[in-house]
Amino acid sequence: MQFLGFWLRRYGLELLFILPAFFYLAGFLIVILYYLFSLSLSASAWSAGWENYHTVIFSADFLIALKNTIFFVVIGTPLELVVGMVLALLLYRSFAGRGIIRSIFIIPLAIPTIVTATILFVLFVFPSGHINNLLTGKHAFFPALVQEPINWRNSAFFAMGISMLGKVWRDMPISMLILLAGLNAIDHEQYDAAETMGAGSLIKFRMVTLPSILPAVGTVLLMRSIEMWKEFVFPFILAPSFPLLGTYLESLYRWGHPEQAAVVALVILFCIAVSTVVIHGLTRGIRNFLVKI
Amino acid sequence: MNKFSFRFCFPDLRRGTRFFFLFTVIVLVLLPLFFMVKFSISDRSSIVTGGAVMPLWPHHVSFQTYRYFLFENNDFIKTMFNSLQLACLTICFSMILGAPAAYVLSRFHIPGKIFFIICLISVRFFPDICSVIPIVKIFIWLGLYGTFTGAALAHTLLALPYVIFIAQGVFESIPADLEEQATVLGASRMRVFTAVILPLVLPGLAAAAIYTFLLSWDEFIFVYFLLKFKNIETVTLFLKSNLTDGMRQENFLAAISILLSLPVIFFTFVIQRYMKSGIIAGAIK
Repeated sequence: MQFLGFWLRRYGLELLFILPAFFYLAGFLIVILYYLFSLSLSASAWSAGWENYHTVIFSADFLIALKNTIFFVVIGTPLELVVGMVLALLLYRSFAGRGIIRSIFIIPLAIPTIVTATILFVLFVFPSGHINNLLTGKHAFFPALVQEPINWRNSAFFAMGISMLGKVWRDMPISMLILLAGLNAIDHEQYDAAETMGAGSLIKFRMVTLPSILPAVGTVLLMRSIEMWKEFVFPFILAPSFPLLGTYLESLYRWGHPEQAAVVALVILFCIAVSTVVIHGLTRGIRNFLVKI
Repeated sequence: MNKFSFRFCFPDLRRGTRFFFLFTVIVLVLLPLFFMVKFSISDRSSIVTGGAVMPLWPHHVSFQTYRYFLFENNDFIKTMFNSLQLACLTICFSMILGAPAAYVLSRFHIPGKIFFIICLISVRFFPDICSVIPIVKIFIWLGLYGTFTGAALAHTLLALPYVIFIAQGVFESIPADLEEQATVLGASRMRVFTAVILPLVLPGLAAAAIYTFLLSWDEFIFVYFLLKFKNIETVTLFLKSNLTDGMRQENFLAAISILLSLPVIFFTFVIQRYMKSGIIAGAIK
């Protein structure tokens, strides 16, 4: 008791300053997790307790949503990495106007997500939005690539394609900045040392550049994959009839099954955890592979 | 002839490809924005063409869409005030919670600091969509469902990690000597905070406040779950409801989108000019 009093007096002001924020964040975190678990195990008019898991996981809609989301993650994450890498390489060497160009590249991040979704919604209108006009050759300067205008939002492939396009467009500055930081951190002396030992540019890339940017690449893959799993706004606006896990959760909630929605939320968390472990292991494995040789 | 000498043979080719890619990316970044602006200043004949191809630049540039939304559509004006109110409330909550916490994190060593940082990062990485349903349930139980306070508290949850991170950087840039001097002169620690530190960090805290404002203004997921069914609309919800079953005409959507993005554009220019004046350095000296 005496020790507690001493402790409070010593750290009193600091605790006063930091505890509200701490309790706020920790409290929410704990309460959210508690509610997710208890909600998913609670009884409803349709199923009781553990059956919620059974109902959700074996329902056809859920499996479609899961398949769509896996497709989204598996294709979207490397795509973001590649696009970010291209942008970072473009900005790597200094040239006149580099600062302005970098500011331009960061613009997509500043635009609200729903505005980006609206832009794509407007551009990909069927039958006579701008993209359809362009592809069917209605404008003189572009050849006709397709005969009929494409119904973008009513086909699973194209709807998810434009959602992915929007997501990659919006988030490419983040990948670019992380990879740029990684590229800038590479010590030039390593390149000089490799050249004096007679290395050509391919060897230099494989031995110096690649291992050094692997941490940055790992970070980008990790962060982007987490974002892909929980993506909600783009599919909600652009692909409403083709559920991803996020939009499926919202539809379950809207139709009055919050317990099943909680199960889907836990599935999302589980998938994020699994993919984090996988990506972490993958980057570590690649680094061991590269450095050993 | 290895790859090295190949490169010296064709220096201009590499430069050409670089410029090509640079140009392509710039076009890809700016093209959607161009179309948005173009649609928002289109007159009706450029949108409802009756079978003809939509022009790449409107036949007559007209600001009637903006005039309609800013002056005639009372619903929209109301939603802008709602968003504004929500954002200001969020700033209050996050600043009150976040600034003192950042101060402690930057200066003092307390036991359990690492737990706090882990907590901060975990909340940041926790998916929005997973946490909405529990938050809705909690707020219904607390009676905060469908209120500005409730939505502001939810936004504070999102903004707090960023506020603490930015504010911590700002606090760390102030030398500890100032505080020591004030303490030597007899000020209590609370007074040191309010009279010495706070005036100096206000510019940096303003940056955190601006970030919080933008985060709250542009936020969609939480307001959709918390406010939509109680008929409180923010600008994001207004845009969404027009997308699905309202005025789906391109120029209306584009005008709302541009008006929604106005704070971002405004604050970007304001911050740029503010940073250049170097007030922070002057204050410390």
